[in-house]
Amino acid sequence: MKTKFLIICLLLINSFFGQNSDSLALSVKVKWNNMPLIIDSEYISKNNDTLKISQLSFYLSNIKLVFDDESVFKDNKSHLVQLKDLNSLNIPICKKNKKIKTITFSIGVDSLASVSGALAGHLDPSKGMYWTWQSGYINMKIEGISSSCKTRKNGFYFHIGGYLAPNYALKNVTLYPKSENLELEMNLAKLFDNLLLSETNSVMIPGIKAMELANYSVKMFTIK
Amino acid sequence: MRSYITYFLIGTGFLVLVGFITKTTTPKYIDIPKNWPKPVYDFKNNPLTEEGFLLGRKLFYDPILSKDNTISCASCHLQATGFTHVDHDLSHGIEGKIGTRNSLTIQNLAWSKTFMWDGGVNHLDVQALAPITSEVEMNETLENVIIKLQHSEKYQELFYRAFGTKKITGQYTLKAITQFIVSLTTSNSKYDKVIRKEEKFTEMEQKGYDIFKQYCTSCHKEPLLTNNGFKNNGLPIDKDLKDIGRMKITQNSRDSLLFKVPTLRNIEFTFPYMHDGRFKTLNEVVKHYNSGVMKSSTLSKELLIPMNLSDNQRTELVSFLKTLSDKDFLFNQKYSYPK
Repeated sequence: MKTKFLIICLLLINSFFGQNSDSLALSVKVKWNNMPLIIDSEYISKNNDTLKISQLSFYLSNIKLVFDDESVFKDNKSHLVQLKDLNSLNIPICKKNKKIKTITFSIGVDSLASVSGALAGHLDPSKGMYWTWQSGYINMKIEGISSSCKTRKNGFYFHIGGYLAPNYALKNVTLYPKSENLELEMNLAKLFDNLLLSETNSVMIPGIKAMELANYSVKMFTIK
Repeated sequence: MRSYITYFLIGTGFLVLVGFITKTTTPKYIDIPKNWPKPVYDFKNNPLTEEGFLLGRKLFYDPILSKDNTISCASCHLQATGFTHVDHDLSHGIEGKIGTRNSLTIQNLAWSKTFMWDGGVNHLDVQALAPITSEVEMNETLENVIIKLQHSEKYQELFYRAFGTKKITGQYTLKAITQFIVSLTTSNSKYDKVIRKEEKFTEMEQKGYDIFKQYCTSCHKEPLLTNNGFKNNGLPIDKDLKDIGRMKITQNSRDSLLFKVPTLRNIEFTFPYMHDGRFKTLNEVVKHYNSGVMKSSTLSKELLIPMNLSDNQRTELVSFLKTLSDKDFLFNQKYSYPK
């Protein structure tokens, strides 16, 4: 009786604190074409915009894995991924056991969270990813500078979001991993190759422009 | 013997854990008057406690929420005037900067579905973010507010009492502010007493009430004196402010020039009136509805036919509006600056 109780206690402790070496994590590699993206480094887009990225933050939510045997793993949480925070680029998922057929996730936060008031953890409004004059989460925030922008201090600001139809900016992505390691590549060049920074440099409200950017943002993601 | 010690240790550990979880707070409830609708605010997600209310009240009156520690919520929301900013058409904030709208009152918000003149805010818990971050109001970030609060031992203690943790988060800060805001209920005006058959209107007030029921209650619905909706009430657009109202949020041209229908409770004290504070007196307000309504494509259909009230009738209507004042609310010590 006593031993049983102790074993249960130990198991509980283990499940709380134990870091399993064969656990599966999604690691996000932020890139500019083939190079790792570095904050405040200079890059040139296909449209000849010279630019530097100063901030990249986005939500990765509702991760769903479908395994070879058709079994499914679901994680309904929203993870805040920030380029300046290395820990956030590694999202623990589940135990590594079966071969993965597809991975699906959303970029952003679903509309339910945007109407649920003040939430905790990654969704805490103090994370700088919540709009203030109008409720709702910012799904993705990209900021930087470019000489192409005739704005104050040449800044560009993309705060992509919106939870109300027809401007509901949440996007789903489905990818087919080829290896056991879930290495998610996010290539920012794919977004800026679609833009002319002299024309599009400040999108900070939900609407048609934000929807366009949300559609482009999907194309940034690939998996190895 | 050893087994007893083990059980003792496990037992003690368990009790300490339970002690942490069930740390005592005093539950608090808002008054829901008889025959009123069910509140919109979901108290299950933010159960009111005396400790949370006191913390929220301290935050409400503390300029620590603003960037240079000069502006508190109470700077623009004064209790004695129904928690709004009297005498200013447009409210001003940090460094004397002036906003684009007249601050709204804070009354019976547990029954409100949306917040702000344009309804841009969809939940009471996140309402405070707007003034905290507005460049012309408090010009601060929630992130920085938390850093400042975390440095204060007094606040650590108050958060511990309210939420059982000294680790201050944005969620707890906002929920505490809501606990105070949502407790600001007013339901003890002469009008309420008449409805409860405890008092009687004067003849003039009664006539005013009859006019009110004929012309006003489709939007200023009893008992809250608002239908929670948005309307274009025929105000010509201010050429400098060019405020399109609700359309800014929905980007739908049908919402052009629509603004929140505000409650009329304590209206005697909440001057000036309208979203841009253009009218200083209730007489001007009534005159506008009587003969000043400007027609446009989004004008509220209720205002298409002019009221054509006589001078006497307008006076009667104003005398009814003054029965909506609730001195028990305006001077309630519980809602005042914490001493």
